[in-house]
Amino acid sequence: MTRIQLPPTDRSPEVDFDFDGGRLAMRGESYPEDAAAFFGPLLQSLRGYLETPSPEPISFDLSLAYFNSSSAKALMNLFMPLEDAAAEGRPVTIRWHFAEGDDTIEEAGEDFAADFDHARFEMVKDVVA
Amino acid sequence: MSDSASPAVPLRRRSLRGLGPLSRDDLAANLGFADVAAEEGVADIMRPGALRGAARGRNLDSVAYTLFLRIYPVIAMVVLLTQAAIAWVNYNDQYRLYTERAEVMATLVAASIAQPGWNRDPARSRAALDALTRDPAFRYAALHDASGRTVVAAGQMPRTRPWELAHVSADLVPAGGTRAEGSLTVVLSTAALRASAEKQAMLSLAISLLLMLTFVATLHRTVRRHVIARLKRLLVAMREVEHKRWATVAMDGEFRPRNEIDVITQAFNNMVEGLRSGDEAKQLLRDLAAAHAKLEQANRLVIESIGYARCIQSSVLPDHAALDRAGIEVAILWEPLHLVGGDYFWLEEVDGLSFVVVADCTGHGVPGAFLTLIVATALDRLLHERGLRSPAAILAGLDTMVRAQLRQDGRGSESDDGLDCGICVWDRDARTLLFAGAGLSLTVIRDGVAERIRGEKRGLGYPRTGREVLPERDVSVPVAGATFYLMTDGITDQMGRPDPARPARLIGQKAVTGRLAAHAALPLAQQVAALEVELAAYRGPEVRRDDMTLIAFRPR
Repeated sequence: MTRIQLPPTDRSPEVDFDFDGGRLAMRGESYPEDAAAFFGPLLQSLRGYLETPSPEPISFDLSLAYFNSSSAKALMNLFMPLEDAAAEGRPVTIRWHFAEGDDTIEEAGEDFAADFDHARFEMVKDVVA
Repeated sequence: MSDSASPAVPLRRRSLRGLGPLSRDDLAANLGFADVAAEEGVADIMRPGALRGAARGRNLDSVAYTLFLRIYPVIAMVVLLTQAAIAWVNYNDQYRLYTERAEVMATLVAASIAQPGWNRDPARSRAALDALTRDPAFRYAALHDASGRTVVAAGQMPRTRPWELAHVSADLVPAGGTRAEGSLTVVLSTAALRASAEKQAMLSLAISLLLMLTFVATLHRTVRRHVIARLKRLLVAMREVEHKRWATVAMDGEFRPRNEIDVITQAFNNMVEGLRSGDEAKQLLRDLAAAHAKLEQANRLVIESIGYARCIQSSVLPDHAALDRAGIEVAILWEPLHLVGGDYFWLEEVDGLSFVVVADCTGHGVPGAFLTLIVATALDRLLHERGLRSPAAILAGLDTMVRAQLRQDGRGSESDDGLDCGICVWDRDARTLLFAGAGLSLTVIRDGVAERIRGEKRGLGYPRTGREVLPERDVSVPVAGATFYLMTDGITDQMGRPDPARPARLIGQKAVTGRLAAHAALPLAQQVAALEVELAAYRGPEVRRDDMTLIAFRPR
């Protein structure tokens, strides 16, 4: 399946969805003017990818410094099919990176974590050296 | 050709090959351009269409004609004069030789005759003279004695011009004697010499003509091929350029830096390229300026339009003094990111209850502002038509109404919009404060200590996912000594670089409440103003990311 790689912009994060490797990543800031337009294609691809059952593990690394409420909603929409796949037995790990001391992002991660029952949701504190 | 060319050395400066010591000024003058300019006038050449005749080659033919006219007579004169000089020198040499020969002959014959008693034997003398007559140039010989009397004569003295004759005489000195006893006069004709000189002159004239014809043909061909043909191509290209068709002249991959036409052609090509790019740049600039003007116009319209939208949105917001009589102190910070926004607040006293509502609708700018209008209408109906007084009930009502309004209730909506909302209801008589929040929390600062009462984390609206949880009941918050803050995440989500070496990060809830607590003793308006200044300082050069709204209030 085609790998999705998007460079970061002022208002959207860097995206690297390496479906064949089972590694998804998103990094930067997310407050696009039209969140649906940015996240829609990503969600479509993710759903397409998860349609075919497979025992391969999936990891999703998120390292966001800021995201607006539309992006939060869009992230929820991305997480749902992953949680569904995990519920069907596929090993899914979501790693939520936050900078040490960034309570807002840490709390947001905790909020997201509460929605997962099957997928593994790890909070990763990035300590700046 | 070299024979005839050598006397024409000065002409080499006008070499047609354009090489050698020719300077560019010479070239222009020698090619006759100076005359062309003088005849036509520079202004005429610059006139549009002036090159047309030139491009057909008329003026260029006149260049060749001028060239020939100036060079031919000079060459002809030089060739003829040179040949004449050579002929003259030859003739003189021959004439001298003839004379010498005549002298030798006369001396020899005189010696052979000068025997003692010679004048007594004329028959012997005659025989000697007869021998002379065998020379074809011989005309006349006479033997004179000492008294000058003619003893013997042979031939006839020719009656012709003296320069056609070699006329010599020798003394007769008998062997052993010292005194001349007579003299011998010999006359030879030089007519053969003259005929030969004439023949030579005719020959050199013929050669000169032949050379001239060859020269004319060669010159014409060379000028046509190496000068006129190339200049014509240049002129044709110039005419194209006159009409802003950027034609260059092909160099056929050959550029000789010492060839003036190559240099001119190259310079012309460079000039055309320069003009072309200049013209393109000008056109681009014009397009850019036009596009810029259009953008400016469009932007002005949009800004004007949004400016007016702000008036409308502001008029939907409540009077800041709406709760003045309700016994609570209120301070407001409402600052959309782009003139209008998705943040909304409402203050109203109904039936002795003071309602403080803060909502953060999805998005900002105009789309956010649209949603605030839906929320405003829904809230008004819930408070005044349905008479709801419980914050949790109002949230539930808002959820239903917004969902219905945006057709998110299963009727195939594209809308994925909603809002975070926090509601406080202050009962002045009972001195109780009820709070309910959906995606928005209430911050309470009491005795310098900040507490956050979190609402349910899901917002209102949005298509159903089956995971929504709405607040079921109101939270009652003690009011004694407390100041309350309802704020949208635009307040706490300020990006800044406290450490310039590290990536920008959010200021966060804790830092914001910490700063508010630090100013707890101040009047609320000053607290809010101070916070706004501090947020701006935290952001530094970073731009704001979202609308921001903060309502601070405390019972008096």
